[in-house]
Amino acid sequence: MSETLLKVSDVATAYGAIEALKGVSLSAADGEITCLLGPNGAGKTTLMMTIAGILKPRRGSITLRGEEVAGRAPRHIVERGIALVPENRLVFPDMTVEENLRAGAFSRDDAAEIGRDVEAMFTRFPRLRERSAQNAGTLSGGEQQMLAISRALMARPKLLLMDEPSLGLAPLIVEDIFRIIRELNAEGTTIFLVEQNAHMALRIANHFYLIEQGRVVFDGTPGEVEEEEIIKRAYLGTEV
Amino acid sequence: MDEYLVQVLSNIGMISFLALSAYILLITGEISFGQQAFFAIGAYASGIATAMWGWGFWPGLVWGAAAAGAAAFLLAWPTLRMRGLFFAIGTLAFAEMVRLIFEIFRYQVEIDGELVGPNGSEGFRGIRYIFEQDISAFHYMLLIYAVLAGVLALLFVIERTRLGAIWRMLGEDELLAETEGVNRTYYKVLATVVAGAVAGIGGALYAHMNTYLEPKIFNVMLGVHSLAYGLIGGLGTAFGPLIGVGIDIGLLESARIFSGYRMIVFGGLVALLLIFRPRGLLDEAAVHALVAWWRNTFSSPAKRSGGSGRPPERPGA
Repeated sequence: MSETLLKVSDVATAYGAIEALKGVSLSAADGEITCLLGPNGAGKTTLMMTIAGILKPRRGSITLRGEEVAGRAPRHIVERGIALVPENRLVFPDMTVEENLRAGAFSRDDAAEIGRDVEAMFTRFPRLRERSAQNAGTLSGGEQQMLAISRALMARPKLLLMDEPSLGLAPLIVEDIFRIIRELNAEGTTIFLVEQNAHMALRIANHFYLIEQGRVVFDGTPGEVEEEEIIKRAYLGTEV
Repeated sequence: MDEYLVQVLSNIGMISFLALSAYILLITGEISFGQQAFFAIGAYASGIATAMWGWGFWPGLVWGAAAAGAAAFLLAWPTLRMRGLFFAIGTLAFAEMVRLIFEIFRYQVEIDGELVGPNGSEGFRGIRYIFEQDISAFHYMLLIYAVLAGVLALLFVIERTRLGAIWRMLGEDELLAETEGVNRTYYKVLATVVAGAVAGIGGALYAHMNTYLEPKIFNVMLGVHSLAYGLIGGLGTAFGPLIGVGIDIGLLESARIFSGYRMIVFGGLVALLLIFRPRGLLDEAAVHALVAWWRNTFSSPAKRSGGSGRPPERPGA
């Protein structure tokens, strides 16, 4: 196994009195795809938001290549190289596609490089180029997800957090999204993926974690464990 | 120029500051029912400066804007965590509080055997600087528009820079903007302060044109209107709210075509626009379309962007 890029140790995050994460520990290896599975309400999105700095953990440590980032402001975390593709393909609906991309480069100030990266995104996703001057809210679900992913890439992340990128998309588009995830990973981006589509996720993941009620209950390498068992637990939260 | 026309145009110019003030908060996603408070603070502060402290007009104007901006800074903190309806109610309560304070605020000095200064609900008489300097209503109108042009130019510059993009990001989706690394607190407070100062400038201009201030004119309706201007005219650019002011004061009020029914017509117009153009006449889509049309028509053919060509650079980005 290669070097650890992200290390989460004993992280607890609460909404008021309700503790959504009760001490989560996991790690993502550099250059790999790590996948987080679990039933609804297990705390997957909370963990993503905590790593991205939107939510502040009550305790615990989050390190990126050894540097502590837990509790830092989101902009520090983006600058350190962590970008989040939020759940439900969030885009800025009344801004154009190109403005959305540039918004993703918020933490950078190298105008020429940003222009080149916008070009690169348009080359990767020709549909976005066709719609560059269109309001993002008018795009189809799949296009919005591509835009959300490209926008996160505009920050040039070392680690890309993806929260349910296939949610609510047609099967063909889902195939596309997973192909893109694999491509990005092959180009050197480390991916930390939350997914309901366990079949697809396990096919591309190097390592997976199962989270239930705010705790990691199980982890392993997809080939080692019976996929049926993992999926049963991921959806139903039953004991293996 | 017709005296009446000068009066109407001056009113449009002054109210435009209030409309722009509400607009700045609208693009950051906040609906404020309280911008009239900053208009009032700017009016009183500048009036006190010129009529009581013997300051000149321009220092008085700057002082009015600064006082309104400072008040906005104070308001920004308790309302920072408020969203939507709660922010609207919070700002409304603040504006009413300011108005009631002016109802009891007494601060008068004797100048030439005459008491000058705010006298509670009696109002604040004798802001005569413009009158004393023998500046005609027409020239004062030109001055109002010169200042308005300056503020508009500033807003246009802001809209084309990083700051404008950040304000719009916050307005579209705060959480997402934070995800991209925007320091929400800083930029929200900044927007509140700039909006307050812009309203304060309008108030200062108003005080010196009217020579007399009464707390009751800074009531809720003024705030409701200032919001409606942006919603009618559109939130795509700073021109939108000005169109809104022009429609309301220019058409409905000055022409008096609807006389007593003006408010009903105005209300109906707002309702219709909210149905057919929920983000106003000049909304973001309209502005994007206009910008694209402008580029395709006036840029050289080499730079012209087709469906598959290189996309045009966004100006100032």
